[in-house]
Amino acid sequence: MTPTVRVSRTVRRRHGGHGGSLAGHAMLAPALLVVAAVTLFPIGYAIDMSLSHVDLGLTGVHLRFDGFHNYSVVFQSPQFWQSLLFTVAFTAVTVVLEFALGLLLALLCKSWVRPRGALMSLFLVPWAFITVVSAELWGYMLNGSYGLMDAVMQGLHLAQGNVVWLGTPTLAAASLMAADVWKTTPFVALMLLAGLLMIPDEIYEASDMDGAGPGATFFRITLPLLRPSMLLALLFRTLQAFGVFDLPFVMTGGGPGSSTQSLSMLAYNAMFRDFDFGPGTAVAVLTVVVVFLMSLVIIAMFRGQLTGTYDA
Amino acid sequence: MKRQRLGTVATSAVSVLGLVGMGLVGGLPASAASKVVIEFAASPIANIGLRSHLISMFNSTHPGIEVKLISEPNNTDTYRAQLVTQISSGSTTPDVFMGDVIWPAQFGHAHLALALSRYLPHTFFKRFAPGLVQGASYHGHVYGAPFFMDAGFFYYRKDLLKKANLPVPHTWEQVVSDSKILQSRHLVKYGYVFQGKAYEGLTCDWMEFMTDAGGKVFGPGGKVAIDSPASLKALTFMRSLITSGISPAAETTFQEAQSMNVFMEGQSAFLRNWDYAYSLSQTGKGTKVKGDVGVEPMPTFQGQSWPGYSNIGGWNLYVNPHTRHLKQDLAFIDWMTGVKAQTFMATFGSEIPTNYTVQKSPKVRAQNPVLNIVSKVRLVPRPSGTPAYPKVSSAIYTNINAALAGSVSPAAALKAAAQGILRATHSGL
Amino acid sequence: MRSRNPWSWVRYPATALALFVILFPFYWLVVTSFKGPMDAAAYPPHLLPHPLTLVNYQRIFAVFHFERYFVNSTVVASATTVAVAVLGSLAAYALARLPVRGKVSILLALLVISLFPGVAVISPLYVLMRDISWLNSYQGLVVPYVAFNLPLAIWILQNYFRGIPRELEESARMDGAGLLRTLRSIILPLSVPGLFTAGIFTFVACWTEFLMALTFNSSNNWRTIPVAIALFGTRFSVSKGDVFAASALAVLPITILVLLFRRWVVSGLLSGAVKG
Repeated sequence: MTPTVRVSRTVRRRHGGHGGSLAGHAMLAPALLVVAAVTLFPIGYAIDMSLSHVDLGLTGVHLRFDGFHNYSVVFQSPQFWQSLLFTVAFTAVTVVLEFALGLLLALLCKSWVRPRGALMSLFLVPWAFITVVSAELWGYMLNGSYGLMDAVMQGLHLAQGNVVWLGTPTLAAASLMAADVWKTTPFVALMLLAGLLMIPDEIYEASDMDGAGPGATFFRITLPLLRPSMLLALLFRTLQAFGVFDLPFVMTGGGPGSSTQSLSMLAYNAMFRDFDFGPGTAVAVLTVVVVFLMSLVIIAMFRGQLTGTYDA
Repeated sequence: MKRQRLGTVATSAVSVLGLVGMGLVGGLPASAASKVVIEFAASPIANIGLRSHLISMFNSTHPGIEVKLISEPNNTDTYRAQLVTQISSGSTTPDVFMGDVIWPAQFGHAHLALALSRYLPHTFFKRFAPGLVQGASYHGHVYGAPFFMDAGFFYYRKDLLKKANLPVPHTWEQVVSDSKILQSRHLVKYGYVFQGKAYEGLTCDWMEFMTDAGGKVFGPGGKVAIDSPASLKALTFMRSLITSGISPAAETTFQEAQSMNVFMEGQSAFLRNWDYAYSLSQTGKGTKVKGDVGVEPMPTFQGQSWPGYSNIGGWNLYVNPHTRHLKQDLAFIDWMTGVKAQTFMATFGSEIPTNYTVQKSPKVRAQNPVLNIVSKVRLVPRPSGTPAYPKVSSAIYTNINAALAGSVSPAAALKAAAQGILRATHSGL
Repeated sequence: MRSRNPWSWVRYPATALALFVILFPFYWLVVTSFKGPMDAAAYPPHLLPHPLTLVNYQRIFAVFHFERYFVNSTVVASATTVAVAVLGSLAAYALARLPVRGKVSILLALLVISLFPGVAVISPLYVLMRDISWLNSYQGLVVPYVAFNLPLAIWILQNYFRGIPRELEESARMDGAGLLRTLRSIILPLSVPGLFTAGIFTFVACWTEFLMALTFNSSNNWRTIPVAIALFGTRFSVSKGDVFAASALAVLPITILVLLFRRWVVSGLLSGAVKG
């Protein structure tokens, strides 16, 4: 990491002029334009919509400014709070589990030298699974009448009769979390492994010579040096988990009741099932606001790490 | 001869158009116009191939029009979401779409479907079986032309009842006692399977149980009335089916396919399902109940007169308000609800025709025992007269499902459902 | 040190357990795809198909025309990947080597935007695409996919570019090569693993995306694989065998791709492509 810092600092001094800057911006422009056109513009329109009374007229969609009315409708809806609670719980539990298991998996993978590459590529199998497929598959394995998990539970005498995994609120939420953990932990493990392998062996040897035990080494050396990788993975997983849609949409349909309806699903249903575009986009905008705030917090945590790398 | 009749109806439709003064469609009679392509959006009907058969029959008899099929998703909510996004943004296609019977209020209110009664003579609507046109209306206008109908039916295992020497149950109490007998004699694993997942299908099943018990969703003056002693009786009964093991614990995750699966596996004595279940139980892959299935109208609670209530399902044909080919759309709808197309649907696809002449025809009734009892069933519609119906339904099925799962008491679920319906019809979300 | 490593003996059963958990669902998917409808619903379930049947695979092609969805997904994912590689390389080079104001802010802003929930943008985008007749088209998915995948690709590539010694470029520059030629003839050939990592990430993201594909390309002829699978079956019956036969075929190419290009993917990852 350190050599890079020096290089880029020199670059800056060398290319201080406007010519280089112009070329740089020209090369950046196409990418930034595409991203802005597809994300920023629609989000702006969605904010406008969320502050309006939306009429589906014969001539298309009409917006009439309506202040924060849609937001007050949303805040008074128990469905919104239930969805928020589920989404927060889903995000918190899956991220914590994925990090704990991912770190174990990464350490395990690091302990193997020769077959490490093969192990890593196997980790990629669940990650490359289509979420819809994974939801269908888990839904099938957890089926309450002929599911594999029921057979396992009964075989181990952990349950009598069928377990209704997807038909009771806590079990349905837990099943969704398990399916997500299965699919995403390997990805977290890979990101952490990349960080682990960048820690020079000399540091471990030095710590070894100081007589530090494995626990002390882990907490004093491994974890602090892993911070950048962990924060990046945290950013990815938190934001993705908070926007979860495919998994509950296919696996539970938000049920039982509406106990596993995520915020994204609530917004989608309000817009495309109930035609409530105003309150629906308000939920979508609120989701983006929460995602944005969470990303600010996570970025604040690792901005220090990055500025060490960059000439910001 | 049939074609002649159809021709006159089509001409009358066209002349009415002229009278109403739909100048924007163009004044040429259909035969003289050059070939017009109209897009027909429809999700697959139970029997794959039915739609394209009907369309090619229409195209071959209507040289001026070519109907193009746009195959849509089977999942009704997904299909509706696509239509909403497409039509609300002003798209001129699809010209005609097949849509659920519960859509008229929602689609009419949001200008997503054309008021057909403005453009078709009211004699046109006389061809349909009683009650159907009313169900397709909103605020005095008819928005959908009934295409095929459906209803809840009670399927039972003839062989099992015979072994136990039991008559076909006519009350829910008998369903329970018969199930207990059959289960205790190890003749069958479960007594009764229905649709209990949190989705539209549960609202259908709920309407039947609730109406049997004497309950209503909306009382006089549109007041929310779901939280009543009758509803409590119905919901407590439904929950007891699961707790007593008459229905599987997994009921709370069952849609039609799952309940059908249990029945076809031979694991349940009774089943609530739609019209398609009979032919599927007889011809479906791997069915274990071939030749053993009987069908009757739904049971009711003791003390009520048999038969119990059957929820109305089925599909209508709607016209996109932005269509550029209204005249051709109406001709297509006219033909699809006419005797020829409806007879074909009933005999080839075993769907229940909406055309009353066809529905009463002995030839059609002989085709399928389900069609034979259609005239006996007592129908109850879902409360879909409000544009907020999807939210009303969601307030019903999420709370009923939660009570079936045992996560809230039946009384609490009904209270929450009532509040949800009130919110749905007032503010939104 | 290694001998004292507490992992030295636990790691055998631990690795076996991890592999079992990771790979078993994949096995179950494949096994179920070879089961007949009643076999797939048998209880207790059979660990092997009994009897083994190819009927699901025949049905998904004969009845559902699965090849159509396969082509759609391949076209959309490939086109997106190429576009992301081109635009991403340009942008990443600018961020890695050229003086641009607020690099860190640009990178982070891009990354955060790409992680925004899709539900916030689908309805405005839908209206926009309808206006320019892009619904049910390849470009209607490719453009949003490019936008949502560019940020991560730029992140990966600029990290990779910065690891390449500057001296190589200097000498090219001495020979009179311009920026674009330097990028094409010096930087990119040295960045193949990085390009691969970015490419695989993009391809997989497109191959698996659901919400936009569901909303924008709803017509049967334009559906991608995830949408097709989610909407399988007739109105009242879903055969799990069909779903899983299609799923197995959908997951297969990605798995092969990952295993085939394992070396590059892994070295791309490990060379700090995804490092903070």
